[in-house]
Amino acid sequence: MTGAADEMHFTPSAALSFGVELELQLVQAHDLDLARDAGELLARLEKVPLAGAVKPEITESMIELNTSVHARYPALAAELEATRDAVVKEAGMLNLRVCGGGTHPFHSWTERRIFPTERFRHILERYGYLAKQFTVFGQHIHIGCPNGDDAVYLVHMMTRYVPHFIALSAASPFYQGEDTQFQSSRLTAVNAFPLAGHMPFVKDWAEFVEYFERMRAFGVVESMKDFYWDIRPKPEYGTIEIRVCDTPLNVGRAAQLAAYAQALAKWLLEERPREPRRAVYLVNAFNRFEAARFGLRGQLIDPFEETRRPLAEDILQALAGVMPQASALDGAEALAALAADVRRTYSDADWLRERYAANKSLAHTVRESAACWAGDKPRASG
Amino acid sequence: MDPGFLPQMPPALGQPALFGVLLLAGLLGGEVVRRMLGLPRITGYVLGGVLLGPQVSGFLAPGVLGEARVLIDLSLGLIVFELGHRLDAQWLRRNRWLFVAAIAESLFCFAAVFASLLAFGFQPLLAATAAAIGTATSPAVVLLVAHELRAAGQVTERMLLFTAVNCVFAYVALTLLLPFLHLEHEMSWREAVLHPLYILGGSALVGFVASLALLWLAAWVGKREDRQFILLIALVVLAVGAARSLNLSVVVTLITLGMLARNFDYEHVLLPLRFGYGGQLFFVILFVLTGASLEFNALPAVGGAVAAFIVARFLGKGLALLAFGRLSGVRPASAAQLSLALLPMSGLAVVMVLDTQAMYPAFGGELAAVVLSAVAVLEILGPIATQFALRRAGEADPAAGSA
Repeated sequence: MTGAADEMHFTPSAALSFGVELELQLVQAHDLDLARDAGELLARLEKVPLAGAVKPEITESMIELNTSVHARYPALAAELEATRDAVVKEAGMLNLRVCGGGTHPFHSWTERRIFPTERFRHILERYGYLAKQFTVFGQHIHIGCPNGDDAVYLVHMMTRYVPHFIALSAASPFYQGEDTQFQSSRLTAVNAFPLAGHMPFVKDWAEFVEYFERMRAFGVVESMKDFYWDIRPKPEYGTIEIRVCDTPLNVGRAAQLAAYAQALAKWLLEERPREPRRAVYLVNAFNRFEAARFGLRGQLIDPFEETRRPLAEDILQALAGVMPQASALDGAEALAALAADVRRTYSDADWLRERYAANKSLAHTVRESAACWAGDKPRASG
Repeated sequence: MDPGFLPQMPPALGQPALFGVLLLAGLLGGEVVRRMLGLPRITGYVLGGVLLGPQVSGFLAPGVLGEARVLIDLSLGLIVFELGHRLDAQWLRRNRWLFVAAIAESLFCFAAVFASLLAFGFQPLLAATAAAIGTATSPAVVLLVAHELRAAGQVTERMLLFTAVNCVFAYVALTLLLPFLHLEHEMSWREAVLHPLYILGGSALVGFVASLALLWLAAWVGKREDRQFILLIALVVLAVGAARSLNLSVVVTLITLGMLARNFDYEHVLLPLRFGYGGQLFFVILFVLTGASLEFNALPAVGGAVAAFIVARFLGKGLALLAFGRLSGVRPASAAQLSLALLPMSGLAVVMVLDTQAMYPAFGGELAAVVLSAVAVLEILGPIATQFALRRAGEADPAAGSA
């Protein structure tokens, strides 16, 4: 029982501190299919001094890049670039390429091998083919909260903005060799898990702990890690973790998304503009689907205003609304970059489709995506 | 009564039937060996060939390798093309130590074999020739084992890269030794110098022209896997034919074609290479024919030299890899696995011996027996070593059967 109490103790962290985790694809140079050298690459990276960390993920084709905790956007962006450069360089020594994007466009999931750690073996045993199908790549954004009640409030309020993050990061139009017609097909793979979805409508941290203990008593979960929610509290770090983003095609976009989340959090926590509403979760599935399927061209139902409007319009309004907060956190430039892409209805998914239309080969699309990640090739404007 | 429409008895076995018999022998041998002994299929292909060959059943006459040379050249051509296509110049540029390691692997191996043959009292020039042949790893074995185990990873990638480099090294060394062999045969200096230049330059030129044609046609055909496959086969066969009729080296021509097709493909017009089942046919043919031409008879007589040849070859490769492995970015364990994986010798070596013998009968007798006996031993042991190394490295797909 003490273990449980410890796990659910909300470690306070500096409000609005932030960091990101990026799940990255490793591909082979010769056929651009997913590689299996995560172990070798990680062994090399151990010898490179990095501010953040690089860790194994569920399959041998994936690594996870974690930043350290930051207060401001410019420092986060700079660290991401430095880590990116180190990873790309070491990968190059092994003739591997590193890619962003939420899915690998053409890999076959039957060929994936699960990274041999205890936890990942357990996942494979439990979820069967889902575990391998789960070879998708996401960005997680952590936002620091001073206490558990603030975290619960922030999760409820951020949920309204989940479609924003889906549409702004969407980078997985292709999956298993086909154009899925989705802007983010990755989310669909996440949906298949029994514990996917969202946090229940609890009013504070105490009620959340009670919920968690019941779920654990039922034997449904063992730890917080078992919830694959869109946004979940992470008491261990004292953060909330936004998990809906596809890994963008370059680190610049990853840092911009984090800056947007930070600015939103500042506005929500400091001004408490509204009280959480259950209605958020009534429209959540619809909004989420619209954003994953149509991206910036989708619709959004505002659960507070009870209106339906174009998602792009909603995002632009929100970006403008939190611009003062962003400026105060040195992140105005990031939000301006996001807004520019929204205005021309352009996302990483559109870039990938454009490249595929031009080169007519998913393998070569992956090659260009790797160049984009490495920073050799700026993501061209539409 | 002797009706004219009936064939002569026994009927002569034509080329198509020969082709079928070779494939069938390979298939059966491969399956039997895999199911009953758990050995790589390649070993079975070779044993199938041995059984058909003059030393056992005599179904295939001696010299079948000469008669079936077209098939061998086509198979080898296709295989070294694929190998060349895996040679990534960008990787070598990014990782200079890798390039150093690859050259050292060839050099150390050549030096070790050369020294061991000298110790057995062979004439330096001929020992150098044999050492050059011994430097090359069998491209067919490493590619086929990698394919069948669906292996992927650093040991696999480097095995293919080092094989490409040591095959080129072997051919260049062999060709550069030509002037000295020529001079021994009291030919003119001019001929002695021009001949290697003609072979290397000519082969590279044909490979270059074919690669330009390939890239140009691929751009025109577009990114369709089925059409690019036909185009590849067409140009590979054409290049093999051109190399043969111009008295050039099929191996140098095709490895050049493969390398340039990859590294000149700036516009990325070629799709990733997949020869699939069609490509497998050529592998089987090559191994069965090589098996049929293996020489075991001389083995007892030259056993000591053969053992020294094999051990020196392994130590040379291993030493270079241990020395430069870490600098080029692999762990010592991977370096050891790599030197084991690079052990196979096969049809390529047989072809090199035959070609050298054809030009210089002096390169015959005992020394050829040493090399061919080493091939015979490594043809059986090599695939097993490669398979073991890739499995040990954790790069084989556990779901894939034995190679």
